[in-house]
Amino acid sequence: MNTSTPYLQIEHLRKSFGSFTALDDISLDIQEGEFVCFLGPSGCGKTTLLRAIAGLEQQEEGAIVQAGQDVSVLPPQQRDFGIVFQSYALFPNLTVNDNIAYGLANMKIPRRERQQRVQGLLDQIHLPDIGDKFPGQLSGGQQQRVALARALATEPGLLLLDEPLSALDARVRLHLRNEICALQRKLGITTIMVTHDQDEALTMADRIVVMDHGRIAQIGTPEEIYQQPATEFVARFVGSMNLLPARVLDHRNLMLGRKEVQTPLILPVCAEGTLGFRPECVQLQDGPWGLDRDEHLVLQAQLDQVYFMGAFARLEMTLDAELPLVQVDLPVEQMQNLEAGVGQSLWLSIPKAALKFYPQAQQGGERYQPHAQPAEMSMGVAAMQVAGA
Amino acid sequence: MSATLTFARKRGLDTETWLQRLIVAAGVLFLLIALLMPLTTMLVKSLQNTAGEFIGLSNFVAYFSNAALTQSILNSLNIAIWTTVIVVSTAFVFAYALTRSGMVGKKGFRILTMLPLFAPSLLPALSMIYLFGNQGILKDWLPVDSIYGPVGIVMGLSFWAFPHALMILITAFSNSDARLYEAAKSMKTPPWRVFLTVTLPSVRYGLINTIFVIFTLTITDFGVAKVIGGQYNVLATDIYKQVVGQQNFQMGAVVSVILLLPALVSFIVERRVQRHQSAQLSSRAVPLQPQKSPLRDALLALFCTLVCGFLLLVVGMAVYASFITFWPYNMELSLNNYRFDMMDGGGWASYFNSLQMSAWTAVIGTAVIFLVAYMSEKIKPMPTARKLLQLLAMLPMAVPGIVLGLAYIFFFNHPQNPFNAIYGTMAILVLNTLVHFYTVCHLTAVTSLKQIDGEFEAVSASLKVPFYTTLRRVTLPLALPSVLDISVYLFVNAMTTVSAVVFLYSADTTLASVAVLHMDEAGDIAPAAAMAVLLMLTSLAAKTLHWLISHQILQRTQRWRQC
Repeated sequence: MNTSTPYLQIEHLRKSFGSFTALDDISLDIQEGEFVCFLGPSGCGKTTLLRAIAGLEQQEEGAIVQAGQDVSVLPPQQRDFGIVFQSYALFPNLTVNDNIAYGLANMKIPRRERQQRVQGLLDQIHLPDIGDKFPGQLSGGQQQRVALARALATEPGLLLLDEPLSALDARVRLHLRNEICALQRKLGITTIMVTHDQDEALTMADRIVVMDHGRIAQIGTPEEIYQQPATEFVARFVGSMNLLPARVLDHRNLMLGRKEVQTPLILPVCAEGTLGFRPECVQLQDGPWGLDRDEHLVLQAQLDQVYFMGAFARLEMTLDAELPLVQVDLPVEQMQNLEAGVGQSLWLSIPKAALKFYPQAQQGGERYQPHAQPAEMSMGVAAMQVAGA
Repeated sequence: MSATLTFARKRGLDTETWLQRLIVAAGVLFLLIALLMPLTTMLVKSLQNTAGEFIGLSNFVAYFSNAALTQSILNSLNIAIWTTVIVVSTAFVFAYALTRSGMVGKKGFRILTMLPLFAPSLLPALSMIYLFGNQGILKDWLPVDSIYGPVGIVMGLSFWAFPHALMILITAFSNSDARLYEAAKSMKTPPWRVFLTVTLPSVRYGLINTIFVIFTLTITDFGVAKVIGGQYNVLATDIYKQVVGQQNFQMGAVVSVILLLPALVSFIVERRVQRHQSAQLSSRAVPLQPQKSPLRDALLALFCTLVCGFLLLVVGMAVYASFITFWPYNMELSLNNYRFDMMDGGGWASYFNSLQMSAWTAVIGTAVIFLVAYMSEKIKPMPTARKLLQLLAMLPMAVPGIVLGLAYIFFFNHPQNPFNAIYGTMAILVLNTLVHFYTVCHLTAVTSLKQIDGEFEAVSASLKVPFYTTLRRVTLPLALPSVLDISVYLFVNAMTTVSAVVFLYSADTTLASVAVLHMDEAGDIAPAAAMAVLLMLTSLAAKTLHWLISHQILQRTQRWRQC
């Protein structure tokens, strides 16, 4: 990350609704022109954070500094942002033109210039001829694009998108994803999008903020989030991941169920934890021979089920009766060469780089605190810590 | 420069939020002065003697040791229970026929059942006199000695309360899920069991709700019992007699407090039930398409014809009687009874007063109620004040009109009250009527506001558009149909109400509905019927106008609704 002053600085934000803590000490910097996604399950606080940035919710503690100005206590009218909601929130009784021009009306812009700007925005969302229609006459995707144009009409410094694609069907969603990204890059507008859809976040964002229970679980580029999930929660939430409960024997050996295995990782000093690897990182081997156990984890497992998934095949395998099933994704071509039948034992290897180990959180209700886990980080085990970078 | 900018921005914040706060505060203040303080004054009065000294519960002790007075409690309960049983069971079958049968002419039946909504409650009572009174045309059909008493009250109230019950039950029956019936059918369930296990559970909240609404309406009614009750006293007429007849305001307050209790209880139960009802139907339910079944449909059509026949008979009798020159001696038709200036009660002036009062109530009431509902639903500041606003807005539903009227005397007629000046003017009539019918209008406004996307205010704020601009350009046009509904509801009820205003009119502000009462008291029953008919026609005209506006003008100005 560059060292210039961030466009948006969020410092120690805290907000609760009754006994429910929606935001718990959130700190975050966003650079000018960046596209940031807040990702997390429902109730994780991502929408509350977005609404706090907009001034639609008032935080109890903490500060928000936008473009050098402290906007912490300003009402939404006094802040500089455009917003798009999941429900589109287009005014149904106004034409598309009037909707887009809604915020321009009180900016004292001459009528002709206003019309030009509206037409320019309609061209940008590739819907040049719909100006005289009412929102009810448009499809969901078109309505959401108009909502985007309306939010951009006043040329705000910050664009906020609250699950903008969630109400659309799959096809339209994919198309609109690209369109939003293209428009954002073109305008260079700092953008924050809230989503619970990991694919959306991975494909669209420059950086992803994964949230859990009102806290930031990890901040990083899509690659970092996917390849180096900082916590078990992130690993579970983004993509699919095999997560096997494990007991630590010493710094290289684990008990997986009733099996003792040697790992290529240097394990932290702890009693228990979770061993994780992604299904697509697993390779099938003919036998346990000739594999460097300093670079690979080697396991034997029994084939249970094969699911055809289109581009790949997913194998479900039993490692040990006490453990959850292990999932392995194989390209279809490899699958065709596989001669194994259900019930047969196979050898698996997982490269060191694809292995993660998450020590179990200590007792006493301590929650994940990415900033406070340098010990594990230095092992090269868990994800590289990039939060707040 | 940045300093001035910040200053300008700070000031901007102040005007808009300040305005919102001001309106919310004004709304709370309005309901405090026009509702809560009069009621409190009445409660205090019930604990005072004529000299205004605090005497604890002595008035209540006096009341309960007077058997003649306490008999009214039993009488009121008797009337309310009978009417509730009759009205709810009839409306239940009627609503079932309208929503679940393949019967023909549903629309016609539906329109006919609306008729009682436009008549003052005095009209059915006057009709009863002509039908079953001492010189009534159907007197011989009456199984009891005299129509003046509980039978007359129950019949009159049944006519008047029927459409209220029907409306709630139709809504309840409309929430059907066809898939439940298909599932039942596929398991070869006999029809009676389908009715018990599917139909009845799906309407149970609506049914309970109806029972309580009708009970409240009938136990608090004043008009019907006043006209046709004869020697049969009920709580509402007792209040009137204590205050107008004996000038015993303290005892009037005591009876009011007693009448307030059942109304409050049934109001609370009804609100509880209401909360359950909303969550009952899943959004994926498939609406039921009624099937034809010749025998059942024919029986139901016969039933509906009988009910509508009764309603038409009651209305028709009043209309017919109003044109009879001198019943039963001179049966020639004439307009003599419409020469109101020859009678008691204020004459034609009272009709125009009523028109004026209703128009003011409709205009001011719609504006006030909608604005308050908007503030309580759509803005952020002052959450506690807005909660209070919502609570106060629900209260008028539980306050019987006659109690509210009496409370207004106590509060506004007090010489030290700064609002004392409005006592005896048109203003107090408008204020009282507005508050009397506040809750239904508030709920209508809130329902329509809830249907409007909650993010419009957030979008406007992000576009730097003040809230009042969005209210004018977006929210109000979207809510226009319900705004029109509210205004016509207020107009019709202001035209026909009698209970609350009967204590509040003055010589200059006599009202038509009160004139009906006085003409009846003076024995001029035919002119009373004529005035009641006139009130009904005026209400129907207002409703027709409303229909024209919502169907013609809305279609032209609200092109977006069709897409």
